[in-house]
Amino acid sequence: MSEDLCAVLATRQLPNGGWPALSSSSQASIEASALAHVALVPDSGHIGDRATDFLLKVQNPNGSWPTFIGDDHMGSWTTSLALIARRSVAETLGQRVHAGEWLIDSAGKESSWFWKWKFRTTDRHVRFDPDKFGWPWIPDTNSWVVPTAFAILALTQPGAESSEVSKRRVELGIQMLLDRRCPGGGWNAGNGIVYGRPMAPHPDDTAIALLACASYARAPIVTESVAWLACVAPRLSAPWSLAWSILALAAHRQPIDPLVQRLSGWTGLDEVDDNSTLAVSCLALNPLRALARFGIAQ
Amino acid sequence: MTITRRDILIGTAAAAAGASVSLPFFLPRYRDDRRPKLSRVAILCIEDYEQSIQDSLRRGLQLFRLDVKGKTVVLKPNVVDYIPGNAINTHPGLVVAAAECFRELGAKEVIVAEGPGHQRDTELVLCESGYESLLRENQIRFIDLNRDELMSVNLSADYSRLKRLWLPKTILGADFLVSMPKVKTHHWSGVTLSMKNMFGVVPGNKYGWPKNILHWHGIQESILDLCATVPIHFVIADAILCMEGNGPLNGLPRHLGSIVLADDPVAADATCIRLMGLEPDRVPHIHEAAKFLGNFSPDLVEQMGELALQPEVPFRVVPEFEFLHSAG
Repeated sequence: MSEDLCAVLATRQLPNGGWPALSSSSQASIEASALAHVALVPDSGHIGDRATDFLLKVQNPNGSWPTFIGDDHMGSWTTSLALIARRSVAETLGQRVHAGEWLIDSAGKESSWFWKWKFRTTDRHVRFDPDKFGWPWIPDTNSWVVPTAFAILALTQPGAESSEVSKRRVELGIQMLLDRRCPGGGWNAGNGIVYGRPMAPHPDDTAIALLACASYARAPIVTESVAWLACVAPRLSAPWSLAWSILALAAHRQPIDPLVQRLSGWTGLDEVDDNSTLAVSCLALNPLRALARFGIAQ
Repeated sequence: MTITRRDILIGTAAAAAGASVSLPFFLPRYRDDRRPKLSRVAILCIEDYEQSIQDSLRRGLQLFRLDVKGKTVVLKPNVVDYIPGNAINTHPGLVVAAAECFRELGAKEVIVAEGPGHQRDTELVLCESGYESLLRENQIRFIDLNRDELMSVNLSADYSRLKRLWLPKTILGADFLVSMPKVKTHHWSGVTLSMKNMFGVVPGNKYGWPKNILHWHGIQESILDLCATVPIHFVIADAILCMEGNGPLNGLPRHLGSIVLADDPVAADATCIRLMGLEPDRVPHIHEAAKFLGNFSPDLVEQMGELALQPEVPFRVVPEFEFLHSAG
């Protein structure tokens, strides 16, 4: 099943070597292209070479990646995904270092003293500690869970530069994730409590945060979140969330065979319009290999 | 006392400096005045989602004599997240009924399009909120605006100072855009109706979840810029089961038993706000939109269908928006 699905994903590659977010589109998306790269390379020969060339060509002059072809050059959250995708491509070391530097310099807007002060004093409807910041989706906005989790994964790749600054940012990012969890376990976009009311967690956000927290498996917040995800995963009605849940639960050594079987038998999975869903499903059907490709030690 | 040439020069320079600083605050921040001479609003009484919404909607739409023959109609519901028991999303039954009505009116294609602002897994939200099965059964195409192809657009108003946004091709290519909000109070914007509903066209893949850039540039301001740039041609508001209090997700359900139709988003939202027992003029984006996007003054709005009766008990709002109550 995994091979069949990978073959479908390969057929959706655009002539420029990237993948569009939706199969009906012709605009290459960096998220879909990076996830497809992780799923297909290094087993795919010519397709993999074109995918690697594509990611190389579209890197911004400042070291970051855009979110799609034609996007502004200021950089985005997809930089982390592109870095993860290219970890195995030795000849791109220079570009990886440049991207890593951009990522280390990138931070949520609440990291500046002024906004910290504002969030501590006048803007307190969303409960969070502004001292614990991570990464934004795009520059000049707050830190959020998913871009922070991907940045942590990108900066902790085996062989990645591990300067003191990088280590500090990763540690701070982990603290931010732990701070932003939902009461009772799990994560959503990054608002655990708003106006005094606990917000509901989301399975995909939780799974991606748990991948970033794979080395913190004993932290009570992490174990609580793993338990929540293990509870909801069997009932998920969409393959994107199910696929990420399989990867996260595998990273935390939870039983996943029934989930993999369920995804494998998912009706119409090969016709899913969303290429990122298709790529993550390919990965989830072979979870141990996928975790290695995400650079998560088992 | 004599006035020297030097005094005049200094005075002129001071006046020029003062004008350059203050003028931007007085100049209009919009390009075009799109207000119709007369707007039309219809309120339909529909007690619940079980009764035949499509028949009522068909009769309501006939009042407007809409010409959608051969046009691509895009329905933009408010689909945010799913929390069992919470009236968060525009009811899928209403969206499907609208799609069928526009097909009957001769639309070339009817597309449902949305980019949820909280949940990244759009398919999960569609499945859990009842959309997926209904859209599939009725063969209605859905486009995920968070992942659609994007085009760069200069904004037609400048309240937010964003100047430019990347927006989905599906929305920009629509011949007839129908905003289909769920009538709710909102803890950041006071209310969320047909104009605030346009936040859903801003693509998550580019701007993230939530669409935080709009918060940083001002929610009320961003609503105005978006609605100036992407014209809403028609509104079908789900005011059957609404939300009050800590909306848009965690408020309490509130029954109004109505659907509001309008050919002007400002008139539609003002009517919904009156139905909620709140003051439309006190909602900042509605107040400003009435200068260039539409009408809310009752003498510029033709009221059809039922009367816009205010409820005995107005909708509850979070403390920051208590001023929306008439006594506030």
